[in-house]
Amino acid sequence: MNAATLTRAESLAATLPPLLVAAERVANTVAQGVHGRRRVGQGDSFWQFRAAQPGDSAREIDWRQSARADRLYVRQTEWEAAQTICLWRDCGARMRWRSPLGAETKQARADVLLLALAALLLRAGERVRLVAPGLPEFSGRAGLARLAATLAATPDSETMPDAALLPRYANVVLVGDMLAPMEEIAACLSGLAARPVQAHLVQVLDPAEQSLPYEGRVLFAPIAGGPTELVANVAELRPAYVARLAAQRAAIGDLCAGAGFGFQTHATDAPATAALMALAAAMAPDAVARR
Amino acid sequence: MMALLATLHFAQPALLLALVLLPILWWLLRVTPPAPRRQEFPAIRLLRGLVAVAQTAARTPLWLLALRLLAAALVIVALAGPTLRRGAADEGKGPLLIVLDDGWTAAAAWPSRLAAAESALDRAATAGREVALLTTAAGEDASPPTLTVPMPASEVRPRLAALRPKPWPSDRALATDLLSKAEPGSVVYVSDGVGDDPAFRHALAHLGPVVEIRAADAPMLLTAPSLDAGTLTAHLRSTPTALPRDVAVLAQGNDGHSLARAVLHLEAGASEATATLDLPPELANTLSRLVLEAAPSAGAVWLLDETNRRRPVGLLTEGGAGDAPLIGPLYYVRRALDPGAELREGDLATLLSRDLSVLILADVVVNDPVQVKLLDDFLAKGGTLIRFAGPNLAAHPDALLPVSLLETDRQLGGAMSWAQPPTLAAFEPQTPFAGLTVPKDVRVTRQVLATPASVLGSSKEGAKIWATLADGTPLVTEATRKAGRIVLFHVTANADWSDLPLSGLFVDMLHRLVGLAHGITAEDAEQATQPLPPTQLLDGFGQLTAPTAAALALPPADLASLASPRHPPGFYGQGAARRAHNLGAGIARLVAAPAVEGASVQSLAGVSRDADLSPWPMAAAVALLALDLLISLALRGLLRRADVAVLLLLSLSSAHAQAPSDNPALATRLAYISTDAARDAVALAGLQGLSDYVNRRTNAALATPNAVHPGRDELGFYPLLYWPIGALDPTPDAAWAKALNDYMDNGGIVLIDTRDSGSGEGFAPGTAAALERIGRVLGVPKLTPLTSAHVLARSFYLLHDFPGRFDGGTVWVQRDEDRTNDSVSPVIIGGNDWAAAWATDAVGRNLYATIPGGVRQRVLAYRFGVNLVMYALTGNYKGDQVHVPALLERLGQ
Repeated sequence: MNAATLTRAESLAATLPPLLVAAERVANTVAQGVHGRRRVGQGDSFWQFRAAQPGDSAREIDWRQSARADRLYVRQTEWEAAQTICLWRDCGARMRWRSPLGAETKQARADVLLLALAALLLRAGERVRLVAPGLPEFSGRAGLARLAATLAATPDSETMPDAALLPRYANVVLVGDMLAPMEEIAACLSGLAARPVQAHLVQVLDPAEQSLPYEGRVLFAPIAGGPTELVANVAELRPAYVARLAAQRAAIGDLCAGAGFGFQTHATDAPATAALMALAAAMAPDAVARR
Repeated sequence: MMALLATLHFAQPALLLALVLLPILWWLLRVTPPAPRRQEFPAIRLLRGLVAVAQTAARTPLWLLALRLLAAALVIVALAGPTLRRGAADEGKGPLLIVLDDGWTAAAAWPSRLAAAESALDRAATAGREVALLTTAAGEDASPPTLTVPMPASEVRPRLAALRPKPWPSDRALATDLLSKAEPGSVVYVSDGVGDDPAFRHALAHLGPVVEIRAADAPMLLTAPSLDAGTLTAHLRSTPTALPRDVAVLAQGNDGHSLARAVLHLEAGASEATATLDLPPELANTLSRLVLEAAPSAGAVWLLDETNRRRPVGLLTEGGAGDAPLIGPLYYVRRALDPGAELREGDLATLLSRDLSVLILADVVVNDPVQVKLLDDFLAKGGTLIRFAGPNLAAHPDALLPVSLLETDRQLGGAMSWAQPPTLAAFEPQTPFAGLTVPKDVRVTRQVLATPASVLGSSKEGAKIWATLADGTPLVTEATRKAGRIVLFHVTANADWSDLPLSGLFVDMLHRLVGLAHGITAEDAEQATQPLPPTQLLDGFGQLTAPTAAALALPPADLASLASPRHPPGFYGQGAARRAHNLGAGIARLVAAPAVEGASVQSLAGVSRDADLSPWPMAAAVALLALDLLISLALRGLLRRADVAVLLLLSLSSAHAQAPSDNPALATRLAYISTDAARDAVALAGLQGLSDYVNRRTNAALATPNAVHPGRDELGFYPLLYWPIGALDPTPDAAWAKALNDYMDNGGIVLIDTRDSGSGEGFAPGTAAALERIGRVLGVPKLTPLTSAHVLARSFYLLHDFPGRFDGGTVWVQRDEDRTNDSVSPVIIGGNDWAAAWATDAVGRNLYATIPGGVRQRVLAYRFGVNLVMYALTGNYKGDQVHVPALLERLGQ
């Protein structure tokens, strides 16, 4: 690790505490609105008393409760099984951009969403890991900070995740702007479906990318360098652009529906809470709901 | 419109050829589309391929193109230097000859005449022509009229600025000779419109094309007033005009107060007018000049000397004992009157055979009917009869007395009496002796007594008591008889009955009584024939100044001669022998001069300097280009509504910030009355320099000075207004004057600076006249010279003189103390150009050299400024300082 990377890691780490705080805050608001799953299982919290049955160990009998009645009772706890959720967010050059209309860069919003979801999951007892080779799983409250540090240290990548890095039957959440060519996205999604994993896609877009709010004669340039596009009159082009964006979304939505994946969109001018709520609700049957 | 175009000229017409480049510019602008705006955009992939469909021709819109071309055209026009010609078009090649009448007739509109000549200079400078200058009046140093050689206009300008109207007429004969030497291309003649000299006009007409600039007003000349027993009649001479004119004449005293005013009415076509000034004789005797209220000039002033009111005093010496030294009845009277009055002695018939103003009878009883008749006639002509009592009169009172006398006289004190001889009571303010100090040692031992009835009521035709003894007995009584008056001293004229004739009071009382008498016009030429030295001379504007170096003593016989550089109008001789030499006396007639043949005649009022128009198209071009910038930004999408709003707000707020500077109510600051840009700059720099000095030296904290416009800005916030007056300043309108008068009435101080007195005389010609004109609409109180005894000289530093950039000019302050405003003078008038002395630049260097110069003068100028600020801020707080000597004296007792 050279000095420059270290410096960058440090500068990123410096931004982490507020990022974490923001993620915790978002997760808190959502946790209050999500209910438990009411299933008996391995866990710490009381769930119910049930009449002792033959085969129950004498140690399981709750003697205090049994003393109040004629029958013996067994104390059962709520099931708390942990599952590993794989998280991935786009960290390409495209993400580090914001328009005056957006509240923050898409990258920042994706990081907040990812960490907030992780916080939620970790609080629920799940384990999380990042979609990258050789990275550990994180669990427990303390895991969030380590996750954030790891997240900050991940190198930039312009590509969609490789399905080979995922365990089978894993839950995976992908956050990104999904503006890559449709072929790349389709290849990635089909890889995920073939693994097989359960995936959930979140498309984070800047409002300017949604509406193309420019006027007049504009020379458009890509973020990472490359050929530019001269538009004589943006206003004339706006409907066509919006239609193309909708088409790309519809195509991704169709692919996801076919594979049984979730897909939702989010704009950076909307509060992150809304996206997290939707994300949590969509994942409830699988991960969060099984707390 | 055509007339406007005819007066429009370009300094560099060749530059207008650049206008043909505009079509090329049009083509260039057409083919060059506006540059696109660069925008980074992550979703650029989605835009690819869409572009070709929506590609439109990117061309500058036609109206924007027109806007830019207009801006370019305006820039070209501005660079070509358009000028609006206001004067006549003198198209000529070769040198320009400016002929300027600078005799007394030119003083009336002098600044406008100079402006007209400068306008011609400007034009000659633009055309690159050389200029020669001919002034038609002789110079102050008695040099003949001068014609300069042709020289660049910039060389002529200072000569022109240094010219002043002369208090004598133009010498056209000499000027005609000079004209024959000139070879000009064209002539601009700034004429006074007076003079009967066809040769001069003929010579002018033959020189080349002539533009004659004439004033609309005809010059006015006061000629010798006539004086008949108390009424003064002013005579005015002018050239006839088509319209009737009214001009007021003021009769002014020695101290410059106007004592009477009359309106002279000149009928249409008339050249003479008269008006009668009604004046009580007491005031008539103090008159020192008649002044026309019209434009000031040497001809608008008639100086009055003692010739018109000589008061010969006759002493009746028929008793024979009058000549005895020390005890003679007239000995003391003669000694008292001798230095100042013209004394005649003799018997009654001899004395009254000539005009006499005062007749003194010392203990003479007049009973002879012939003598009574003579005296009655004398009184009827307005004579003053002064009588002294004595044993004869006490024994045989006659009819020519102001009061009836008791049969007996009164003895006071003496060896057989317990009583002390009484002293004199102080004089009542309404008597002519008011203000004279009564010595304590004057005692009256014997007097004649008036019957109580005659002094109490209105008997004896209203006798008045002018002096009494301490016990109330009348000492001097007076009664008017016909046009004259009789004054009776109830004591003798020698020291027999009282100490009065021995005291200095006696001299003063007699002088006052003689001064009250009607003057008579001298009918005899008995005065000395030796030449009188000049003492005070009139300048071209009719102001009395110190004698010029060229002025020579004037033989009395030449008093009625025409004024010349050797004998300018003014006062000649000292004291009682002072004689006035008046311009009007030597000018027998005024003739309106016809215009020069073939000249284009132009009114002086219509002439002003050419207006340089180039800033306007340049400003319009800049505004258009700024608009174009905004439009281009908007077309490229770089400008959103919010930006426009911010820009507008910024420009508005900056404009707003410039208009009124800081809120004047929140800090103490000085202010100056805004006049023109040059004076404003000096005034601002000066007041800033003074404020800095005051802040450094005193506890006062003055903020940045403000410019104010009376009538528009609230003046109440400022303790002191500085007002530099200019010669061409308009007379303030009603709102302006009211604002300033209110300010002065409510405790404000206005420092009026004419910037041309003392060592700086001539730096701003005409400002004194402008001050006089402007001062008429202001409530300026009676003024007195500022001395070191005034509070203003002691309010911070102890000052003895009050220099600014110039030194030596008199500074005037209010004469009477006005308790309502803390005795603070509402106006301070001077001409020392204080602001220039105080002015500093940003790093604190002084901008203007002091004249005559020296660090000391600068320091004193600042100290005067500090005193002024302290005076304005604290009022008469330091007034005690003025009374310190009196307080110390009182403490010592």
